[in-house]
Amino acid sequence: MNNQRIVELTLLLLAAFITIATVVIAAVGEGVAIGWDAVPYLVGLLTLWAISHLALRRWAPTSNGLLFPISALLQGLGFAFMLRIDPDSAARHFGWSLAATCGFLLVLAGLRDLALLQKAPAYIGTFGFLFLIIPAIFTTNSQQTVGSQVFDLGPVHLAPQQLGILCLVVFFAVWLTNYRFRNTAEHLGEIERLDGDPSRFLPLVSGWLATSIIIIFQCDMSLAFVTFAVFVSMWWVAVGRMVDLTIYLVAVGGSIAIAFGSITELQNRFAAWVDPWSNAEFGAAITRSSFALAGGGLTGTGPGGGSADWVPAATDQFAFVPIAEELGFIGGVAILSSYLLLVGIGLRLATAARREFDSLLATGITIFFGSQAWAAIAVALRLLPPTGSSLPFVAFNGSVLVTCNLALVLLLRISEAVPFISDRTQVLPQVTLPARGGK
Amino acid sequence: MTRRLTQVGVAFLVIYGLLFFRLEIVQVLNANNLRDHPQNSREITLVFDKPRGSIRTADGEIVAQTVAVSSKQKRLRQYPYGPLYSHVGGFISAENGGSGLERTHNTFLAGEDLGVRIQDNRDLFIDRARTGQIEISIRHDIQLITRAAMAGHVGAAVVIDPASGSVLGLWSGPGFDPNHLSSHDLTAATTDYGVLLSDPEQPLLNRAEFQGREMGSLFTIVTAAAAIEQKLSGFVVPPSQAVTPVDDSSVITHTDGVCGGNVASLMLTGCFPGWAILGEEIGRPTLNDVSQRLGLSGTGPIRLQGSPKGVSQVARLDVSASHAAIGTGLEATPLQVAHLFATVANGGSRMQPRVVEKVLAHDGKVLQEFDPKVLRQSISKETAAELRELLAQNVSHGTAQDLSISGMEVGGMVASQFLDNHVWAVVIAPVTLPEVVVAVLLEHDSFDDHQTAGANVAAITRRITEAVLRLSSSNVGGS
Repeated sequence: MNNQRIVELTLLLLAAFITIATVVIAAVGEGVAIGWDAVPYLVGLLTLWAISHLALRRWAPTSNGLLFPISALLQGLGFAFMLRIDPDSAARHFGWSLAATCGFLLVLAGLRDLALLQKAPAYIGTFGFLFLIIPAIFTTNSQQTVGSQVFDLGPVHLAPQQLGILCLVVFFAVWLTNYRFRNTAEHLGEIERLDGDPSRFLPLVSGWLATSIIIIFQCDMSLAFVTFAVFVSMWWVAVGRMVDLTIYLVAVGGSIAIAFGSITELQNRFAAWVDPWSNAEFGAAITRSSFALAGGGLTGTGPGGGSADWVPAATDQFAFVPIAEELGFIGGVAILSSYLLLVGIGLRLATAARREFDSLLATGITIFFGSQAWAAIAVALRLLPPTGSSLPFVAFNGSVLVTCNLALVLLLRISEAVPFISDRTQVLPQVTLPARGGK
Repeated sequence: MTRRLTQVGVAFLVIYGLLFFRLEIVQVLNANNLRDHPQNSREITLVFDKPRGSIRTADGEIVAQTVAVSSKQKRLRQYPYGPLYSHVGGFISAENGGSGLERTHNTFLAGEDLGVRIQDNRDLFIDRARTGQIEISIRHDIQLITRAAMAGHVGAAVVIDPASGSVLGLWSGPGFDPNHLSSHDLTAATTDYGVLLSDPEQPLLNRAEFQGREMGSLFTIVTAAAAIEQKLSGFVVPPSQAVTPVDDSSVITHTDGVCGGNVASLMLTGCFPGWAILGEEIGRPTLNDVSQRLGLSGTGPIRLQGSPKGVSQVARLDVSASHAAIGTGLEATPLQVAHLFATVANGGSRMQPRVVEKVLAHDGKVLQEFDPKVLRQSISKETAAELRELLAQNVSHGTAQDLSISGMEVGGMVASQFLDNHVWAVVIAPVTLPEVVVAVLLEHDSFDDHQTAGANVAAITRRITEAVLRLSSSNVGGS
């Protein structure tokens, strides 16, 4: 049978074991309210994984076998900790997991050829831009203590910005592929380089606009960072002109400076970041997460032993905190490594992909995961000013989970088209590949 | 393209490296500092509804106990005497941390201290809840007396046993009811906490231990000690009404005509200009040295539980010698003042003030005892005896005649700082063989005139002293 699927199954079983073990250990601890009613949800989650696995066997048999288990492990840990912190919302979280899996299956079955995406870049780009700026225009639920802007539709919170970024990633991938085809030295050779073509500034200007809008109108540094990271890395991979990059960085720096000079909320957040000890508005979230992390120490308090009720937003923006507190520095490193592994596999796929579009899309999605996780963890560790960014797959933030699953399918789809990787190197992928023109 | 992809990969490796590094700092390298941070209420929040030992007074009354209740949380922390011990015992709450002994001795109460948890070898293998009880040196009857005397006033009163340094009574007013904060009704508890926080009279503040106020003429006892040590007790200050310090800071005046004379007559007349001249004669280095030996300057304020980590408030004598001699700018807490006079009462031997005497297992076995601890011999016995004599004269026919108690010779001082709106009074009783030292601070009382304010604080102090001495003349000091 197919090796990738066997690897996937084995790792999925491991992820299931870790998830169940975490829940069980937390449940026997004193003062944790996990009852038998959590069992159906847990079984349901594992069933969803099994269905996804079978679907992958059916519709993408040769896709990479590491991607899904990593996401499943993160999702499982997130679910376990959500059960331990807030058992009452298990049904809601499970509902979102179900929706995410449905999205996963739909795209997996429906989008058999990624070239389809290349046919309608204008629509995708427009959608993406709209999703991204809608929250800035219709702010329905503005600024909880550490919240990002979300739509409250009764019990359902929607954060469409993530989906917007995903659409923009697809759009940029299409656009940059076409652009490279027309313009870059790798395609035309040094002599015919079209450095004078002003259209090369188009992606830079739009990227700058998107980042600036997010900073100035949404005050969301994490989201801005994600947009910025995704855009810069895709553009750098596709174009790679040092001069243009410098100009771009200066422009973004200017936007940030202007925003900090004029917007009180950003200044508040920044002040809370510099000195959280005496900041009443945003300080408590940061200081408490620091104290909780320190309380966890090297080995952690064990699942169920931490102070998750006391840390604000412990299931969403600060989802990393209870995990690192209760599983300790070791557990925290494991989470970080999972994301790093995800980034590594994604970039490996990007280098190995046959078509440029695949390659750029893989880069974009990988950086989308990587930078989102980075921003969410950096806020909890006081490396970034406090803003709301959800940890991909882990955080109890439904629409983000759906978006991440959609992105994951695209990545799986790309991996299917990647040339055969020998058994020996599939866990540690090789980096050399047949030269494809240029340097 | 591959090369640039690698560059992107390396960039991500670097920023993830930052995260690893930062996580290591927060969770491992810097974790101890964060755990001991004064704002860190994680520990106490975690143990809020866990088993918890009780706090008892020296005479067996319960300050705080955990009782079983039939609600979602199985245990409730109760404070049977409500506000009476609000600043000694403190409180513990689900969301707002804790204070007092509940916080500082949390590891003992919650049984996290190894000495409490592992009492014999079997405990290494059986994990069961072990909690420690705490016995404090405060006596319930004395605490009641102190509160009754201070009723209606903003300020603090400390009753201390000079021989052992045990605090027998400690009241800081206004107090608060810790039962409201430890309630399981979290919204009500948080509302109450918010009200207490925003109250201008600061009921949450333990004034006796944490509120420094200018000492004013109380400091002249230190000046007198320095003068005696420098053999200047016979030094006669020429009669004067106003003195301009050498560094041209504000003029020091005496209200009722001219005054002067030797140390004793300066003390008896409350002669500020005279003390200032004497202070210049002694010199600032010597004054500083003596006040450091007595624990007033050069270190942080003395605390019952040791200084909190991460907070350094070093008091300094940095005014001119003339102003230093009359206590301008030097702040002390009521506990520090009591401690200072207890040192004088105890023959110059400075005892660490303490409130926790014993940690007991839940079956009553003594696990740990905190014995009286001599910090140092600050001044000689002879100097201390002379100072007590001065204080006794001060009460019998000096500025502190309001403090006199019939049938007993006591020593003491009264000091008013009208600019800062507070008054002090201290008593050593009896002065020949001291049993207790009582220090009282009153803040922003309605001071219509100096006389009334001074008489007020003296009356309160006298009332506490009389009642405490009447309780049991045999064994007030306990230990």
